[in-house]
Amino acid sequence: MVTSPVLQRHPEDSWALAAPRTVSPRTRRVLLALADAIIPTSPRTETTLTDVTRHALVCLQYMPRSSAIVFLAGMRLLNWSPLWRLRGVRPLTRLSRDEARRHLLAVTRSRWLPVRLLMYGPLGLFMSTYFDQDYAHRSINYDPVPFIEGRIELRRKWVEGEEPGTDQEIHHLPVVPP
Amino acid sequence: MSILAHRDYRADQTFDAEVVVVGTGAGGAVAGAELAEAGRDVLFVEEGSYHPTSSLNPYLTESIPRLYRDAGATIIMGRPPIPYAEGRCVGGSTLVNGGMTWRAPERVLMEWETLTGQPDLGPKALAPFFDRVEERIHAKPQHPASVGEDSRLLEEGARRLGWRYEHNRRAQDRCVGSNQCLTGCPTGAKQSTLLSYMPRALSFGARCLTEVRIHKLWIERGRCVGVFGKAVNPHTRRCDIDIRVRSKAVVVSCGAVQTPYLLLGHRWGRRNPQLGKNFLCHPNAKVVAIYPFDIHAWQGVSQGGQIREFLDEGIVMAENAVPPGTAAAQIPVLGEEALELMQQYNRMAMTGVLVEDSRAGTVTRGFDAPLARYSISAYDHERFLRGIRLLATLHFEMGAKQVVLPFSNMPIANSADDLRRIEQTQRSRSTIELFTVHLMGTCRMGGNRRTSVVNLRGELWDLPGCYVADASLFPTAVGVNPQVTIMALATMVAQRVEVPN
Repeated sequence: MVTSPVLQRHPEDSWALAAPRTVSPRTRRVLLALADAIIPTSPRTETTLTDVTRHALVCLQYMPRSSAIVFLAGMRLLNWSPLWRLRGVRPLTRLSRDEARRHLLAVTRSRWLPVRLLMYGPLGLFMSTYFDQDYAHRSINYDPVPFIEGRIELRRKWVEGEEPGTDQEIHHLPVVPP
Repeated sequence: MSILAHRDYRADQTFDAEVVVVGTGAGGAVAGAELAEAGRDVLFVEEGSYHPTSSLNPYLTESIPRLYRDAGATIIMGRPPIPYAEGRCVGGSTLVNGGMTWRAPERVLMEWETLTGQPDLGPKALAPFFDRVEERIHAKPQHPASVGEDSRLLEEGARRLGWRYEHNRRAQDRCVGSNQCLTGCPTGAKQSTLLSYMPRALSFGARCLTEVRIHKLWIERGRCVGVFGKAVNPHTRRCDIDIRVRSKAVVVSCGAVQTPYLLLGHRWGRRNPQLGKNFLCHPNAKVVAIYPFDIHAWQGVSQGGQIREFLDEGIVMAENAVPPGTAAAQIPVLGEEALELMQQYNRMAMTGVLVEDSRAGTVTRGFDAPLARYSISAYDHERFLRGIRLLATLHFEMGAKQVVLPFSNMPIANSADDLRRIEQTQRSRSTIELFTVHLMGTCRMGGNRRTSVVNLRGELWDLPGCYVADASLFPTAVGVNPQVTIMALATMVAQRVEVPN
């Protein structure tokens, strides 16, 4: 039997995302500053930064306690990266977005593996959340739902006996270079 | 009662079954279904939740915490550190993998036969198990209507360079290439165990407890007679209800990281030196090519085929499109620069190089989670550099204008000439960025208790009644996608489980 997915963002399967991890206001400020420096400035909505950091705190709930603690400690360490990189005395929360971004980019490209490792978590969490939003999808011309709906319909017909023909093949290349 | 969740449990609840199977992925679901079909009373215990096909969607912010262990934040420590992903849901990793069904190559099975000193793991003995599994998961080639441009591009590139390209056989029934393998197939085509083995097991009377994490084996008079677990509250993520399952045999199928973690908790008095050793992971390196024309790699099957020209060297190359959120998390740029790069998402061909391990790592018990350690060898590093250079060369041959490389100190190549710098600049293993999804080998099967963890029935040498049926059984790396080999071994183990009267 072919099922009929609804492809909603919040599917009704009697399952709910966990509540976000509770953190101190200071840690929240650090996460907001890091997210602001990491994700693109535009497009954003009024709630982008809080949405992205909230989702990071939700994800922490799914990790072992020790991993979540290490992640948050890493964020605090990153906040003071200007100091331990000997490039300033103020934390990222007190710097402008561009200045903070410059520091984080240097950490991302550091030649020292343990330093680069600090960026794995925030880069992964914030970027993947940002580029999962509808407005970010629109800005990169990515619209999977109509395509998937078309494919589901194609399979439904196939299950009923109508095998896809050549007109159902996926082609985009104008010319494959010689 | 067939599938229960946290809301259904009472405090301190005890269940009874003939066989309890921990895990519902490629190993557990298969072992449980085979046992249920043989008339056994089977109870599955799954840490994740049950998500029917109708609830699957392409959004990472929903899918990652729902379907992946630790919301995808799992990492192998070593040089370099390697992030890995595995499923945590009914269906396990089969729900979120590409569904490739390559059998372990004959040379690997011959090696297993030699290592164990018994014919059981040889190509001849395993062939009927492979046949049985492939029939049940509909292992077959893709229909042309499901293949995307990225697959065709890679195939054409391989043809031009004279390399062998083989189309994938996948676990699928009328796959139409929706390319949502990583977030769970919303069309119902991919034959994960959620759609193949689990319904089969349930139809033979098996039951399934979901949202229960097993933390301890129940051992009486030196024999494993059940498991102790705790139900995980989905809202708070706290383990708040004690669950016990009493059984005559236990099959542990939690994967090559979680299985040794559970078994290592019972090491006192059972000092098997091999448990947790021999950890293998087929590390992968991502090579993303940006073309001057649209490819729409997110349309069409996630992986149409593989370049197998260098298989004898332990190198396999393939395309594997990922959603933009995953792609963006792997690029070494921030802010507007990241957006600029991601605006070329439709022009990206996302490909990768897999290298068969030449060295093994370990899994031990950390504070409250397993600690996997693994470092690539100098030989693996050399093969990565060669594989990445070859794959990037193919992309430039096919007209790519830029290739994003997995090196922290050389992230972009703008021409084939730039690739000459790879060998000069990449002397350290710390600058390469890898990931993996194939975890194997921490409870190796064998014919000798000094060199293996379980015997050829899959039973622990030092704990009767406790069986293992997952990728941790592998004596060596398989060099190809391991799903169908795990399923074949799980079928074999299920047929050999002894249930005392």
